[in-house]
Amino acid sequence: MSKKVEVKDKILSKNQKIADELRELFARKKILTVNFVSSPGSGKTSILEKILPDLSKKYKICVIEGDLETENDAERIRKAGIDAYQITTGGACHLEAFGIKKALSNFDIDNIDLLVIENVGNLVCPASFDLGEDFKIVVISTPEGEDKPAKYPSMIRVSDVIVINKIDLAEYMEFDVNKCLEYARKINPRLVEFKTSCKTGEGLKELAEFIDKKIIEKNADTGC
Amino acid sequence: MGETVFSLSQKGWGKLHEASIAQSLLDIVIETASENKAKFVKSVKIDIGRLAAIENDALMFAFDALKEGTIAENARLYINDVPIVGRCNVCSFDSEYESFDFCCKNCGSYDVILISGEELNIKEIEVEDE
Repeated sequence: MSKKVEVKDKILSKNQKIADELRELFARKKILTVNFVSSPGSGKTSILEKILPDLSKKYKICVIEGDLETENDAERIRKAGIDAYQITTGGACHLEAFGIKKALSNFDIDNIDLLVIENVGNLVCPASFDLGEDFKIVVISTPEGEDKPAKYPSMIRVSDVIVINKIDLAEYMEFDVNKCLEYARKINPRLVEFKTSCKTGEGLKELAEFIDKKIIEKNADTGC
Repeated sequence: MGETVFSLSQKGWGKLHEASIAQSLLDIVIETASENKAKFVKSVKIDIGRLAAIENDALMFAFDALKEGTIAENARLYINDVPIVGRCNVCSFDSEYESFDFCCKNCGSYDVILISGEELNIKEIEVEDE
C-alpha cells in the first residue's frame, strides 16, 4: 500500500544543525566569525594579508582557508604572521559546517577573538551553506563588472557587508561603482559598503575598524 | 596540514552544490522511508525558492545519480518552484518579484522582508509499505 508522509524539514537540516551548534559555540567563546565570499581572484586573501596583521596586535586571529586544491592561501596568511588552516575540498565548490567543525580542532578555541573563514571562490554555492558565522562579507572586484550583484542575487541577499575591491582599477575597467552598489542595494538595502584597494591601501583601514568594532560588540555580548 | 573533507558520493558528482543538496535530501528520504518501514520510495516532493540558487536540472540529475542502489532508486523527484514574495514593513503590502529589485510595489520602500523564495524544503515523501 502506498502512503504519503508529510515531511517538514529543510533539505540542508544536517548542515544547519552543525552550523547552529557552531554559532552557539562561537557565542559562548566570544569568537567573532566572519565568512568571506567572492568569485575566484577578487582579492579576498590579499585583503586579509593587509588587514589582519594590524588587528592581530590586539586580537588572537585564526583563519580557515577553503580551496579546491593547494595550501597556497593558508601559506600566504601564515607568512603574514596569522594562524591558518587550509581545507582543500577536493573539487567541492563550497565549505560546509562539518568541515569548519573539524578544522577547529587545529586551533586553541579558548584563545580566539576573530575567526575568519575564507570560503571557496564562488558566488553561488556558498550562499546556501551556513557555517555558523556572525556575518558574510561579499567581495566584488572591479574587473568582474558592475552587474555582478544583479547576476548573483542570492549571495548579495545573505551577506551583511559588501566590499568593492581593486577600486584603483575602476576607471580603467569602466566599472561604475555607484551602479554596482545600486544593484546591490535593490537586493539588500542593509549592506554595509566598503571600497578597497590592496595596491593603494584605500578603504582597508575602514574595513579593519569595522571588524574591530564587531569584535568588541561580540565580546560585550552576553552570549545568550 | 590540509585534508580533503568531502566525499559526497562515490560517483563523482560531488563537485556541484546541487549534488551536496541532493545527498542531504536523499539522506532524509532514506531515513524517513526506514522510519515508516517502507519497501521503496515512490516520489519525493520539494519546494525550491527562486532565490535559492538551485539549478533544477542539476539537482534532478544529481538526485537520479545518487539514488541508485538505495531504497529510493525508483523515486521520482517533483520540484515546486516557489516565487519570491516580499512583505513591506512600512505598508504590509506583499509583492511578488520576477527580477531582483526588492522594492515594495505599493509604496516604493526597500524595507522589505522576504516571506518566500529562499526555500530548500522537503514537503512530502510517498512510500510503498507492503
